[in-house]
Amino acid sequence: MILVNYLAAAALLCIGLYAVLTRRNMIKMVMGLSLMEAATYLFMISLAYRSGSTAPVLLSPPPGKTAQDLVHGNVADPVLQNFCLTAVVIGVAVTAVFLSVVVRIAQHYRTLDSDRVRELRG
Amino acid sequence: MTGPDRQDARRAEPLEHEPGHRRLAGAVLTAGMAVALGAAMIGIPREHAALSAVARYAMTVALPRWGLTEPVNEIVYGTRGFDTFGETFLLLAAVVSVVLICRSREGRWGDIGESLAGQREQRQSDPAGDADAGERQARSAERREQGQPGPGDPAGPATPDAVPLGTPAPETADAMTVVVRTAIRIALPLLGAAGLYLVAWGYSPGGGFPAGAVLVGVLLLAYAGFGRRRVAAIVRPGLLEAIELAGATAIIVTELLGLVLRGSVSANWLPLAQPQTILSGGIAQLFSASELIEVGTGLAITIFALIGMGHDWTPDEQPGREGAERS
Repeated sequence: MILVNYLAAAALLCIGLYAVLTRRNMIKMVMGLSLMEAATYLFMISLAYRSGSTAPVLLSPPPGKTAQDLVHGNVADPVLQNFCLTAVVIGVAVTAVFLSVVVRIAQHYRTLDSDRVRELRG
Repeated sequence: MTGPDRQDARRAEPLEHEPGHRRLAGAVLTAGMAVALGAAMIGIPREHAALSAVARYAMTVALPRWGLTEPVNEIVYGTRGFDTFGETFLLLAAVVSVVLICRSREGRWGDIGESLAGQREQRQSDPAGDADAGERQARSAERREQGQPGPGDPAGPATPDAVPLGTPAPETADAMTVVVRTAIRIALPLLGAAGLYLVAWGYSPGGGFPAGAVLVGVLLLAYAGFGRRRVAAIVRPGLLEAIELAGATAIIVTELLGLVLRGSVSANWLPLAQPQTILSGGIAQLFSASELIEVGTGLAITIFALIGMGHDWTPDEQPGREGAERS
């Protein structure tokens, strides 16, 4: 039933997309982008799940399993965990770039409404 | 302030009016995306699928070739080390962008005439009118916050403790209560040790990535609890940027030495120690420690640059002074 997770990730991404498309408050647009980012994390971690598997750690395997079982693939996919791990850090930094641009716009135009950020000023 | 007064003050806060835009188009596009994603996700591999070839490879080589009991670490710093290398410099690019965007405005050395040229447009887009009460209050609060109160501005409270509870933002206190400060004093060394443990022993997935985030958390906790002055010795752009670039240089050297000594970028060129010891991962541990520096300082620079942007507003336009030289 991991399909439910996949669909939840798709729903989360769509909520974020709808926020980006229909909101005019730039903070809410950044929140929408963050939601879309979070959807990819959920998707990658769900994609890493394997039924009846254990964590990909080659140390003290759970009862009934040997280290050989782990090596031969009865574990969650470690590559997707790697993607998720690095994506989280990059996501934080990219969100910071968005937010710093928004703060600069707010300081310059004194508004967060993207519709009003059209005139040349200063 | 009594209870009902406070409620009235809260009720008087203006609600932001945010008109909807292109709701129908947004809904149609989102529905299209939902259908496309739904169709794609029904067909992708599920929980019974076999592991990918690269995952099986990493599981097989983690212990014999790298001495790592943590295959995720082997992938981050070994099998897909070049990918992590690229991501690190994406992080560095993001940090540099934030630093550039957040940099304070520099003094102008000469008038190049754009304010005169923009005079007509300025009048159209931002006609100088009398500020209403809310605007006057906001400007007065801003001048006070910047330490330049005008003649008509009300004086602020003598100390942060004199601000009555429930007063609307901006908050003026620069440190938290003694209860919170004591809790933070206890938590800080534990968190710091946990962060260093994560990177030192290489048992945690990712090593330097989560450890860097934990150490940034330590710094933020100290900032929140004790105020900016207590972390100012560490949070200096000159210092943090130098440390971050040292981390980036260490990553480049680590990866390139693999090419020089072993014939491929990201190959291990350090002797492997016994698994589950501090040197067990070869260059994976070195890369992980450099990543800790990169992530820790990068996120700290980014967050504190954002926090420091608060007092850099475009000066208010003064009626009749458009185009005049600003002080």
